[in-house]
Amino acid sequence: MALDTPTLRHGLALIAAKMEASADELNTVDGALGDGDLGVTMTRGMREIMKVADDLPDDVGMALFGCAQAFTRISGSSFGTLLATGLMSAAKASRGRTEVPWSEMSGLLQGAVQAMSARGKAELGQKTVLDPLDAAAKAAADQSDGPAVLAAIDRAVDETMDAFRDQQAQVGRARIFGEKSVGLDDPGMVALRRVVDGLKAP
Amino acid sequence: MKKILNDPTVYVDEMLEGLCAAHPDNYRQVGDAGRVIARADGPIDGKVGIVSGGGSGHLPIFTGYVGKGLLDACAIGDVFASPSVEQMADAIRAANGGAGVLRLYGNYGGDIMNFDMAGDMVEMEDVSATTVLLADDVASASRAERDKRRGVAGMVYAFKIAGAAADAGKDLAEVTRIAQKAADHCVSMGAALTPCTVPQAGKPTFELGEDEMEMGMGIHGEPGVWRGKLRSADEIAGEIMDTLLADQPLGAGDRVSPLVNSLGATPPEELYILYRIVKQRIEEAGAQIMMPLVGRYATSMEMTGISITLCKLDDELEGYLKAPAHCAFWTV
Repeated sequence: MALDTPTLRHGLALIAAKMEASADELNTVDGALGDGDLGVTMTRGMREIMKVADDLPDDVGMALFGCAQAFTRISGSSFGTLLATGLMSAAKASRGRTEVPWSEMSGLLQGAVQAMSARGKAELGQKTVLDPLDAAAKAAADQSDGPAVLAAIDRAVDETMDAFRDQQAQVGRARIFGEKSVGLDDPGMVALRRVVDGLKAP
Repeated sequence: MKKILNDPTVYVDEMLEGLCAAHPDNYRQVGDAGRVIARADGPIDGKVGIVSGGGSGHLPIFTGYVGKGLLDACAIGDVFASPSVEQMADAIRAANGGAGVLRLYGNYGGDIMNFDMAGDMVEMEDVSATTVLLADDVASASRAERDKRRGVAGMVYAFKIAGAAADAGKDLAEVTRIAQKAADHCVSMGAALTPCTVPQAGKPTFELGEDEMEMGMGIHGEPGVWRGKLRSADEIAGEIMDTLLADQPLGAGDRVSPLVNSLGATPPEELYILYRIVKQRIEEAGAQIMMPLVGRYATSMEMTGISITLCKLDDELEGYLKAPAHCAFWTV
Protein backbone atom coordinates (compact mmCIF):
# COMPACT_ATOMS: atom_id res chain seq x y z
CA MET A 1 0.00 0.00 0.00
CA ALA A 2 1.43 3.30 -1.02
CA LEU A 3 0.78 6.88 -1.99
CA ASP A 4 0.97 7.35 -5.73
CA THR A 5 -0.10 10.21 -7.98
CA PRO A 6 -3.61 8.83 -8.78
CA THR A 7 -4.27 8.47 -5.03
CA LEU A 8 -2.93 11.98 -4.45
CA ARG A 9 -5.16 13.33 -7.23
CA HIS A 10 -8.21 11.68 -5.65
CA GLY A 11 -7.33 13.14 -2.22
CA LEU A 12 -6.84 16.63 -3.66
CA ALA A 13 -10.30 16.56 -5.24
CA LEU A 14 -11.82 15.56 -1.89
CA ILE A 15 -9.97 18.35 -0.07
CA ALA A 16 -10.87 20.93 -2.73
CA ALA A 17 -14.58 20.07 -2.43
CA LYS A 18 -14.43 20.26 1.36
CA MET A 19 -12.71 23.66 1.25
CA GLU A 20 -15.48 25.08 -0.97
CA ALA A 21 -18.04 23.82 1.55
CA SER A 22 -16.06 25.17 4.53
CA ALA A 23 -15.03 28.56 3.13
CA ASP A 24 -17.53 30.61 5.15
CA GLU A 25 -16.75 28.73 8.35
CA LEU A 26 -13.00 29.27 7.89
CA ASN A 27 -13.46 32.97 7.13
CA THR A 28 -15.55 33.31 10.28
CA VAL A 29 -13.16 31.54 12.66
CA ASP A 30 -10.27 33.48 11.14
CA GLY A 31 -12.24 36.72 11.46
CA ALA A 32 -12.40 36.18 15.23
CA LEU A 33 -8.60 36.03 15.58
CA GLY A 34 -7.12 37.25 12.30
CA ASP A 35 -8.01 39.05 9.12
CA GLY A 36 -10.83 36.75 8.16
CA ASP A 37 -9.60 35.49 4.81
CA LEU A 38 -8.53 31.92 5.60
CA GLY A 39 -11.50 30.45 3.72
CA VAL A 40 -10.56 32.58 0.73
CA THR A 41 -6.94 31.43 0.95
CA MET A 42 -7.84 27.74 1.17
CA THR A 43 -10.44 27.75 -1.60
CA ARG A 44 -8.32 29.82 -3.95
CA GLY A 45 -5.25 27.69 -3.22
CA MET A 46 -7.10 24.42 -3.82
CA ARG A 47 -8.64 25.81 -7.02
CA GLU A 48 -5.13 26.55 -8.30
CA ILE A 49 -4.11 22.99 -7.42
CA MET A 50 -7.15 21.53 -9.17
CA LYS A 51 -6.16 23.42 -12.34
CA VAL A 52 -2.95 21.37 -12.51
CA ALA A 53 -4.24 18.13 -10.90
CA ASP A 54 -4.78 16.25 -14.17
CA ASP A 55 -1.27 17.07 -15.34
CA LEU A 56 0.59 16.10 -12.17
CA PRO A 57 3.49 13.75 -13.03
CA ASP A 58 3.80 10.15 -11.76
CA ASP A 59 6.85 11.12 -9.71
CA VAL A 60 5.13 11.73 -6.35
CA GLY A 61 7.75 14.28 -5.33
CA MET A 62 7.31 16.29 -8.50
CA ALA A 63 3.52 15.99 -8.13
CA LEU A 64 3.71 17.42 -4.61
CA PHE A 65 6.05 20.10 -5.98
CA GLY A 66 3.40 20.96 -8.56
CA CYS A 67 0.84 21.32 -5.75
CA ALA A 68 3.15 23.59 -3.74
CA GLN A 69 3.85 25.72 -6.77
CA ALA A 70 0.14 26.02 -7.59
CA PHE A 71 -0.69 27.01 -4.01
CA THR A 72 1.87 29.82 -4.07
CA ARG A 73 0.17 31.37 -7.08
CA ILE A 74 -2.23 32.98 -4.66
CA SER A 75 -0.27 35.76 -3.07
CA GLY A 76 -0.69 37.72 0.09
CA SER A 77 -1.27 34.93 2.60
CA SER A 78 1.44 33.72 4.94
CA PHE A 79 -0.68 30.65 5.80
CA GLY A 80 -0.65 29.76 2.10
CA THR A 81 3.12 30.12 1.97
CA LEU A 82 3.45 27.93 5.09
CA LEU A 83 1.25 25.18 3.62
CA ALA A 84 3.28 25.32 0.41
CA THR A 85 6.43 25.04 2.54
CA GLY A 86 5.09 21.83 4.08
CA LEU A 87 4.25 20.45 0.65
CA MET A 88 7.74 21.32 -0.61
CA SER A 89 9.32 19.46 2.28
CA ALA A 90 7.30 16.35 1.42
CA ALA A 91 8.11 16.88 -2.26
CA LYS A 92 11.86 16.86 -1.59
CA ALA A 93 11.59 13.71 0.54
CA SER A 94 9.66 11.77 -2.10
CA ARG A 95 11.29 13.09 -5.27
CA GLY A 96 12.17 10.41 -7.83
CA ARG A 97 9.60 7.82 -6.62
CA THR A 98 6.27 6.83 -8.13
CA GLU A 99 5.14 5.16 -4.89
CA VAL A 100 5.68 6.27 -1.31
CA PRO A 101 4.68 3.65 1.31
CA TRP A 102 2.08 4.83 3.85
CA SER A 103 4.58 3.90 6.55
CA GLU A 104 6.55 6.97 5.44
CA MET A 105 3.62 9.37 5.97
CA SER A 106 4.75 10.00 9.53
CA GLY A 107 8.19 11.05 8.36
CA LEU A 108 6.79 13.27 5.61
CA LEU A 109 4.56 15.05 8.13
CA GLN A 110 7.42 15.41 10.60
CA GLY A 111 9.59 16.96 7.89
CA ALA A 112 6.79 19.34 6.98
CA VAL A 113 6.39 20.40 10.63
CA GLN A 114 10.11 21.19 10.85
CA ALA A 115 10.18 23.15 7.59
CA MET A 116 7.05 25.13 8.47
CA SER A 117 8.33 25.82 11.97
CA ALA A 118 11.59 27.21 10.58
CA ARG A 119 9.92 29.34 7.93
CA GLY A 120 7.13 30.66 10.13
CA LYS A 121 9.45 31.16 13.12
CA ALA A 122 6.99 29.35 15.37
CA GLU A 123 7.55 26.49 17.77
CA LEU A 124 5.47 23.58 18.96
CA GLY A 125 3.15 24.37 21.85
CA GLN A 126 2.25 27.88 20.67
CA LYS A 127 -1.25 26.93 19.51
CA THR A 128 -0.74 26.83 15.75
CA VAL A 129 -1.38 24.35 12.96
CA LEU A 130 2.04 22.88 13.82
CA ASP A 131 0.69 21.27 17.00
CA PRO A 132 -1.95 18.99 15.42
CA LEU A 133 0.39 18.30 12.47
CA ASP A 134 3.09 17.16 14.86
CA ALA A 135 0.59 15.03 16.77
CA ALA A 136 -0.59 13.55 13.47
CA ALA A 137 2.99 12.71 12.49
CA LYS A 138 3.52 10.88 15.76
CA ALA A 139 0.18 9.07 15.58
CA ALA A 140 0.89 7.86 12.05
CA ALA A 141 4.27 6.46 13.04
CA ASP A 142 3.31 2.81 13.42
CA GLN A 143 0.74 2.63 10.63
CA SER A 144 1.39 1.09 7.27
CA ASP A 145 -1.94 1.19 5.43
CA GLY A 146 -3.82 4.20 4.15
CA PRO A 147 -7.08 3.98 6.13
CA ALA A 148 -5.21 3.30 9.39
CA VAL A 149 -2.93 6.33 8.79
CA LEU A 150 -5.97 8.53 8.16
CA ALA A 151 -7.80 7.23 11.25
CA ALA A 152 -4.74 7.87 13.43
CA ILE A 153 -4.35 11.41 12.04
CA ASP A 154 -8.07 12.07 12.50
CA ARG A 155 -7.89 11.15 16.22
CA ALA A 156 -4.65 13.05 16.80
CA VAL A 157 -6.05 16.27 15.29
CA ASP A 158 -9.17 16.08 17.48
CA GLU A 159 -7.19 15.41 20.65
CA THR A 160 -4.76 18.22 19.96
CA MET A 161 -7.51 20.74 19.27
CA ASP A 162 -9.23 19.75 22.52
CA ALA A 163 -5.97 20.14 24.41
CA PHE A 164 -5.19 23.60 23.00
CA ARG A 165 -8.66 25.16 22.89
CA ASP A 166 -8.40 26.79 26.32
CA GLN A 167 -4.84 27.94 25.91
CA GLN A 168 -3.82 31.41 24.80
CA ALA A 169 -2.37 31.89 21.31
CA GLN A 170 1.33 32.75 21.53
CA VAL A 171 2.36 33.51 17.98
CA GLY A 172 1.15 35.18 14.80
CA ARG A 173 -1.78 37.50 14.47
CA ALA A 174 -3.91 35.53 16.97
CA ARG A 175 -1.38 36.39 19.69
CA ILE A 176 -2.45 40.03 19.57
CA PHE A 177 -5.89 38.93 20.77
CA GLY A 178 -4.33 37.54 23.94
CA GLU A 179 -6.92 36.26 26.39
CA LYS A 180 -9.68 36.52 23.80
CA SER A 181 -8.08 33.56 22.04
CA VAL A 182 -8.80 31.34 25.08
CA GLY A 183 -11.71 29.01 24.30
CA LEU A 184 -11.39 29.61 20.54
CA ASP A 185 -9.84 27.14 18.13
CA ASP A 186 -6.81 28.33 16.22
CA PRO A 187 -8.00 29.08 12.64
CA GLY A 188 -5.12 27.12 11.10
CA MET A 189 -6.04 24.09 13.19
CA VAL A 190 -9.64 24.35 12.00
CA ALA A 191 -8.40 24.43 8.39
CA LEU A 192 -6.39 21.24 9.01
CA ARG A 193 -9.43 19.67 10.69
CA ARG A 194 -11.50 20.34 7.55
CA VAL A 195 -8.73 18.98 5.29
CA VAL A 196 -8.79 15.70 7.21
CA ASP A 197 -12.60 15.73 7.17
CA GLY A 198 -12.44 16.05 3.39
CA LEU A 199 -10.18 13.02 3.12
CA LYS A 200 -12.57 10.98 5.29
CA ALA A 201 -15.40 11.46 2.79
CA PRO A 202 -16.47 8.11 1.33
CA MET B 1 -5.06 61.78 -3.44
CA LYS B 2 -3.55 63.85 -6.23
CA LYS B 3 -1.69 61.54 -8.59
CA ILE B 4 -1.25 61.08 -12.32
CA LEU B 5 -2.73 57.64 -12.93
CA ASN B 6 -5.58 55.79 -14.65
CA ASP B 7 -6.65 53.03 -12.28
CA PRO B 8 -4.93 52.37 -8.92
CA THR B 9 -5.31 48.58 -9.36
CA VAL B 10 -3.10 48.57 -12.48
CA TYR B 11 -0.72 51.30 -11.31
CA VAL B 12 2.27 48.94 -11.13
CA ASP B 13 1.43 47.06 -14.32
CA GLU B 14 1.14 50.24 -16.37
CA MET B 15 4.35 51.56 -14.81
CA LEU B 16 6.25 48.38 -15.79
CA GLU B 17 4.78 48.46 -19.30
CA GLY B 18 5.98 52.03 -19.75
CA LEU B 19 9.40 51.33 -18.22
CA CYS B 20 10.05 48.51 -20.69
CA ALA B 21 8.61 50.49 -23.60
CA ALA B 22 10.95 53.40 -22.84
CA HIS B 23 14.06 51.28 -22.34
CA PRO B 24 13.65 48.12 -24.45
CA ASP B 25 17.42 47.76 -24.79
CA ASN B 26 17.66 47.41 -21.01
CA TYR B 27 14.49 45.81 -19.60
CA ARG B 28 12.00 43.12 -20.57
CA GLN B 29 8.93 41.82 -18.77
CA VAL B 30 8.75 38.10 -18.03
CA GLY B 31 6.51 35.81 -15.94
CA ASP B 32 2.79 35.11 -16.30
CA ALA B 33 1.68 38.42 -14.85
CA GLY B 34 4.59 40.46 -16.24
CA ARG B 35 5.66 41.25 -12.69
CA VAL B 36 9.26 40.21 -13.28
CA ILE B 37 11.71 42.54 -15.00
CA ALA B 38 14.82 40.94 -16.49
CA ARG B 39 17.82 42.18 -18.42
CA ALA B 40 16.91 42.49 -22.10
CA ASP B 41 20.04 40.49 -23.00
CA GLY B 42 19.84 37.99 -20.12
CA PRO B 43 20.30 35.51 -18.65
CA ILE B 44 24.05 35.59 -19.27
CA ASP B 45 25.45 32.10 -19.79
CA GLY B 46 27.88 31.02 -17.10
CA LYS B 47 27.52 34.22 -15.04
CA VAL B 48 26.18 34.17 -11.48
CA GLY B 49 22.73 35.77 -11.56
CA ILE B 50 21.77 38.53 -9.14
CA VAL B 51 18.10 38.78 -8.32
CA SER B 52 16.22 41.18 -6.11
CA GLY B 53 12.62 41.95 -5.36
CA GLY B 54 10.24 43.88 -3.21
CA GLY B 55 7.37 46.28 -3.37
CA SER B 56 6.94 49.00 -5.98
CA GLY B 57 7.14 52.65 -5.11
CA HIS B 58 10.92 52.92 -4.61
CA LEU B 59 12.29 53.55 -8.12
CA PRO B 60 15.06 53.19 -9.10
CA ILE B 61 14.99 50.50 -6.33
CA PHE B 62 14.42 47.63 -7.13
CA THR B 63 13.46 47.25 -10.79
CA GLY B 64 15.47 50.17 -12.08
CA TYR B 65 18.77 48.53 -11.15
CA VAL B 66 18.32 45.64 -13.58
CA GLY B 67 21.14 46.05 -16.07
CA LYS B 68 24.70 45.20 -17.00
CA GLY B 69 26.95 44.99 -13.95
CA LEU B 70 23.89 45.24 -11.68
CA LEU B 71 20.82 43.00 -11.24
CA ASP B 72 19.81 40.30 -13.70
CA ALA B 73 16.15 40.15 -12.70
CA CYS B 74 13.72 41.53 -10.19
CA ALA B 75 10.28 40.53 -8.85
CA ILE B 76 7.89 43.43 -8.30
CA GLY B 77 4.98 43.57 -5.90
CA ASP B 78 2.28 46.19 -5.61
CA VAL B 79 3.28 49.49 -4.05
CA PHE B 80 4.98 48.69 -0.71
CA ALA B 81 3.82 45.02 -0.90
CA SER B 82 5.86 41.85 -1.28
CA PRO B 83 5.85 40.05 -4.64
CA SER B 84 4.37 36.54 -4.67
CA VAL B 85 6.48 33.40 -4.28
CA GLU B 86 5.81 32.50 -7.90
CA GLN B 87 7.02 35.88 -9.14
CA MET B 88 10.18 35.52 -7.07
CA ALA B 89 10.77 32.01 -8.44
CA ASP B 90 10.26 33.35 -11.98
CA ALA B 91 12.79 36.11 -11.26
CA ILE B 92 15.33 33.56 -10.05
CA ARG B 93 14.77 31.49 -13.19
CA ALA B 94 15.12 34.59 -15.39
CA ALA B 95 18.43 35.44 -13.69
CA ASN B 96 19.86 31.94 -13.89
CA GLY B 97 22.66 31.55 -16.40
CA GLY B 98 23.62 28.16 -15.01
CA ALA B 99 26.09 29.38 -12.38
CA GLY B 100 23.60 29.89 -9.55
CA VAL B 101 21.73 32.93 -8.32
CA LEU B 102 22.25 35.35 -5.44
CA ARG B 103 19.05 36.71 -3.86
CA LEU B 104 19.94 40.22 -2.71
CA TYR B 105 17.16 42.22 -1.06
CA GLY B 106 16.00 44.13 1.98
CA ASN B 107 15.42 42.67 5.44
CA TYR B 108 11.58 42.56 5.51
CA GLY B 109 9.63 39.57 6.93
CA GLY B 110 7.21 39.01 4.05
CA ASP B 111 9.95 39.22 1.42
CA ILE B 112 12.14 36.76 3.34
CA MET B 113 9.41 34.13 3.70
CA ASN B 114 8.50 34.38 0.02
CA PHE B 115 12.08 34.47 -1.30
CA ASP B 116 13.04 31.46 0.87
CA MET B 117 10.05 29.55 -0.47
CA ALA B 118 10.93 30.57 -4.04
CA GLY B 119 14.46 29.26 -3.39
CA ASP B 120 13.02 25.90 -2.29
CA MET B 121 11.06 25.75 -5.50
CA VAL B 122 13.96 26.42 -7.86
CA GLU B 123 16.12 24.01 -5.86
CA MET B 124 13.77 21.26 -7.14
CA GLU B 125 14.86 22.39 -10.61
CA ASP B 126 18.53 22.16 -9.58
CA VAL B 127 19.10 25.91 -9.45
CA SER B 128 21.26 26.83 -6.46
CA ALA B 129 20.46 30.11 -4.76
CA THR B 130 22.12 31.98 -1.90
CA THR B 131 20.85 34.94 0.10
CA VAL B 132 22.26 38.25 1.30
CA LEU B 133 19.95 40.63 3.16
CA LEU B 134 20.42 44.38 3.39
CA ALA B 135 19.97 45.65 6.94
CA ASP B 136 21.57 49.09 6.80
CA ASP B 137 19.01 51.38 8.52
CA VAL B 138 20.70 52.26 11.82
CA ALA B 139 17.53 53.95 13.12
CA SER B 140 15.54 50.70 13.06
CA ALA B 141 17.53 48.71 15.66
CA SER B 142 20.75 48.95 17.66
CA ARG B 143 24.01 47.56 16.28
CA ALA B 144 23.73 44.66 18.73
CA GLU B 145 20.45 43.72 17.04
CA ARG B 146 21.71 44.39 13.55
CA ASP B 147 19.82 41.46 12.05
CA LYS B 148 16.57 43.30 12.86
CA ARG B 149 17.49 46.42 10.89
CA ARG B 150 15.51 47.31 7.80
CA GLY B 151 17.12 47.47 4.38
CA VAL B 152 17.13 50.92 2.74
CA ALA B 153 19.37 52.86 0.33
CA GLY B 154 22.46 50.74 1.11
CA MET B 155 20.94 48.30 -1.35
CA VAL B 156 22.27 50.49 -4.17
CA TYR B 157 25.87 49.74 -3.12
CA ALA B 158 25.17 46.04 -2.64
CA PHE B 159 23.55 45.76 -6.08
CA LYS B 160 26.46 47.60 -7.70
CA ILE B 161 29.24 45.71 -5.95
CA ALA B 162 27.65 42.24 -6.22
CA GLY B 163 26.75 42.91 -9.85
CA ALA B 164 30.33 43.83 -10.68
CA ALA B 165 31.70 40.75 -8.91
CA ALA B 166 29.33 38.54 -10.92
CA ASP B 167 30.35 40.39 -14.11
CA ALA B 168 34.00 39.70 -13.27
CA GLY B 169 33.25 35.97 -13.41
CA LYS B 170 33.36 35.18 -9.70
CA ASP B 171 31.52 32.02 -8.63
CA LEU B 172 28.36 31.97 -6.50
CA ALA B 173 30.19 31.57 -3.19
CA GLU B 174 32.53 34.47 -4.00
CA VAL B 175 29.76 36.76 -5.24
CA THR B 176 27.79 35.96 -2.08
CA ARG B 177 30.78 36.70 0.17
CA ILE B 178 31.47 40.01 -1.56
CA ALA B 179 27.79 41.03 -1.47
CA GLN B 180 27.64 40.23 2.25
CA LYS B 181 30.76 42.30 2.82
CA ALA B 182 29.23 45.24 0.93
CA ALA B 183 26.01 44.88 2.92
CA ASP B 184 27.97 44.78 6.19
CA HIS B 185 29.85 47.96 5.25
CA CYS B 186 26.76 50.09 4.60
CA VAL B 187 24.97 52.22 7.19
CA SER B 188 22.05 54.52 6.43
CA MET B 189 19.59 56.83 8.11
CA GLY B 190 16.78 58.95 6.76
CA ALA B 191 14.49 61.81 7.72
CA ALA B 192 10.98 62.49 6.42
CA LEU B 193 9.19 65.83 6.02
CA THR B 194 5.95 64.69 4.37
CA PRO B 195 4.27 61.29 3.88
CA CYS B 196 3.44 59.61 0.58
CA THR B 197 0.23 58.00 -0.65
CA VAL B 198 -0.04 54.39 -1.79
CA PRO B 199 -2.33 54.56 -4.87
CA GLN B 200 -4.51 51.63 -3.81
CA ALA B 201 -4.93 53.04 -0.30
CA GLY B 202 -5.68 56.57 -1.51
CA LYS B 203 -4.61 58.15 1.79
CA PRO B 204 -1.21 59.25 3.11
CA THR B 205 0.69 56.49 4.97
CA PHE B 206 1.07 58.71 8.06
CA GLU B 207 0.49 62.29 9.19
CA LEU B 208 3.11 64.88 9.95
CA GLY B 209 2.42 68.47 10.98
CA GLU B 210 3.20 71.35 8.61
CA ASP B 211 6.32 72.38 10.56
CA GLU B 212 7.33 68.86 11.67
CA MET B 213 9.84 66.26 10.55
CA GLU B 214 10.58 62.73 11.67
CA MET B 215 14.19 61.65 12.10
CA GLY B 216 15.01 58.03 11.31
CA MET B 217 11.71 57.19 9.65
CA GLY B 218 11.62 54.05 7.48
CA ILE B 219 10.89 54.13 3.76
CA HIS B 220 7.33 52.85 4.30
CA GLY B 221 6.64 55.30 7.10
CA GLU B 222 7.87 53.02 9.90
CA PRO B 223 8.43 54.96 13.15
CA GLY B 224 11.78 56.69 13.53
CA VAL B 225 13.88 58.09 16.38
CA TRP B 226 12.14 61.38 17.10
CA ARG B 227 9.44 63.62 15.72
CA GLY B 228 9.59 67.37 16.18
CA LYS B 229 10.06 70.80 14.67
CA LEU B 230 11.78 70.95 11.28
CA ARG B 231 15.49 71.67 11.69
CA SER B 232 18.05 73.29 9.38
CA ALA B 233 19.87 71.34 6.66
CA ASP B 234 23.16 71.48 8.57
CA GLU B 235 21.51 70.23 11.77
CA ILE B 236 19.77 67.35 9.94
CA ALA B 237 22.94 66.29 8.12
CA GLY B 238 24.97 66.72 11.31
CA GLU B 239 22.70 64.50 13.41
CA ILE B 240 22.54 61.79 10.76
CA MET B 241 26.33 61.83 10.26
CA ASP B 242 26.93 61.69 14.03
CA THR B 243 24.65 58.64 14.27
CA LEU B 244 26.21 56.89 11.27
CA LEU B 245 29.78 57.55 12.39
CA ALA B 246 29.02 56.34 15.92
CA ASP B 247 27.62 53.13 14.42
CA GLN B 248 30.43 52.57 11.91
CA PRO B 249 33.42 54.75 12.86
CA LEU B 250 35.77 56.14 10.22
CA GLY B 251 39.41 56.90 10.87
CA ALA B 252 42.54 58.19 9.16
CA GLY B 253 43.20 56.35 5.92
CA ASP B 254 39.67 54.91 5.62
CA ARG B 255 37.84 55.27 2.32
CA VAL B 256 34.11 55.77 2.06
CA SER B 257 31.47 56.43 -0.58
CA PRO B 258 28.62 58.64 0.68
CA LEU B 259 25.14 58.63 -0.85
CA VAL B 260 22.90 61.63 -0.23
CA ASN B 261 19.55 60.38 -1.45
CA SER B 262 16.17 61.97 -2.06
CA LEU B 263 13.13 59.98 -0.91
CA GLY B 264 11.22 61.34 -3.87
CA ALA B 265 10.08 64.95 -3.63
CA THR B 266 13.17 66.58 -2.14
CA PRO B 267 15.03 68.37 -4.97
CA PRO B 268 18.72 67.89 -5.80
CA GLU B 269 19.35 71.46 -4.65
CA GLU B 270 18.64 70.48 -1.05
CA LEU B 271 20.71 67.30 -1.35
CA TYR B 272 23.74 69.42 -2.28
CA ILE B 273 23.14 71.70 0.71
CA LEU B 274 23.29 68.56 2.90
CA TYR B 275 26.35 67.22 1.08
CA ARG B 276 28.57 70.03 2.44
CA ILE B 277 28.19 68.69 5.97
CA VAL B 278 28.56 65.06 4.85
CA LYS B 279 31.92 65.92 3.24
CA GLN B 280 33.01 67.97 6.23
CA ARG B 281 32.32 65.19 8.75
CA ILE B 282 34.05 62.52 6.68
CA GLU B 283 37.14 64.72 6.27
CA GLU B 284 37.14 65.61 9.97
CA ALA B 285 37.33 61.88 10.68
CA GLY B 286 40.42 61.73 8.47
CA ALA B 287 38.76 59.53 5.86
CA GLN B 288 38.82 59.90 2.11
CA ILE B 289 35.73 60.24 -0.11
CA MET B 290 35.43 58.00 -3.16
CA MET B 291 32.68 58.20 -5.77
CA PRO B 292 30.11 60.34 -3.92
CA LEU B 293 26.51 59.82 -5.04
CA VAL B 294 23.90 62.58 -4.82
CA GLY B 295 20.42 62.16 -6.25
CA ARG B 296 17.33 59.96 -6.37
CA TYR B 297 18.64 56.43 -5.84
CA ALA B 298 16.02 54.91 -3.49
CA THR B 299 12.66 56.61 -3.04
CA SER B 300 9.28 56.31 -1.34
CA MET B 301 6.89 57.61 -3.97
CA GLU B 302 6.47 61.38 -3.49
CA MET B 303 7.74 61.50 0.11
CA THR B 304 9.67 64.64 0.97
CA GLY B 305 12.76 63.57 2.82
CA ILE B 306 16.28 62.33 2.48
CA SER B 307 18.62 59.58 3.55
CA ILE B 308 22.36 59.42 3.91
CA THR B 309 24.29 56.19 3.40
CA LEU B 310 27.97 55.55 4.04
CA CYS B 311 29.61 52.59 2.34
CA LYS B 312 33.05 51.95 3.82
CA LEU B 313 35.39 50.61 1.17
CA ASP B 314 38.46 48.43 0.97
CA ASP B 315 40.42 47.67 -2.22
CA GLU B 316 38.06 44.87 -3.21
CA LEU B 317 34.83 46.83 -2.67
CA GLU B 318 36.23 49.98 -4.26
CA GLY B 319 37.26 48.09 -7.39
CA TYR B 320 33.78 46.62 -7.84
CA LEU B 321 32.04 49.91 -7.03
CA LYS B 322 33.99 51.68 -9.77
CA ALA B 323 33.56 48.91 -12.37
CA PRO B 324 31.37 49.76 -15.40
CA ALA B 325 27.62 49.27 -15.02
CA HIS B 326 24.54 50.48 -16.85
CA CYS B 327 20.81 50.72 -16.32
CA ALA B 328 18.26 53.34 -17.34
CA PHE B 329 18.77 55.26 -14.08
CA TRP B 330 22.50 55.01 -13.48
CA THR B 331 25.66 54.55 -15.52
CA VAL B 332 29.08 54.03 -13.99
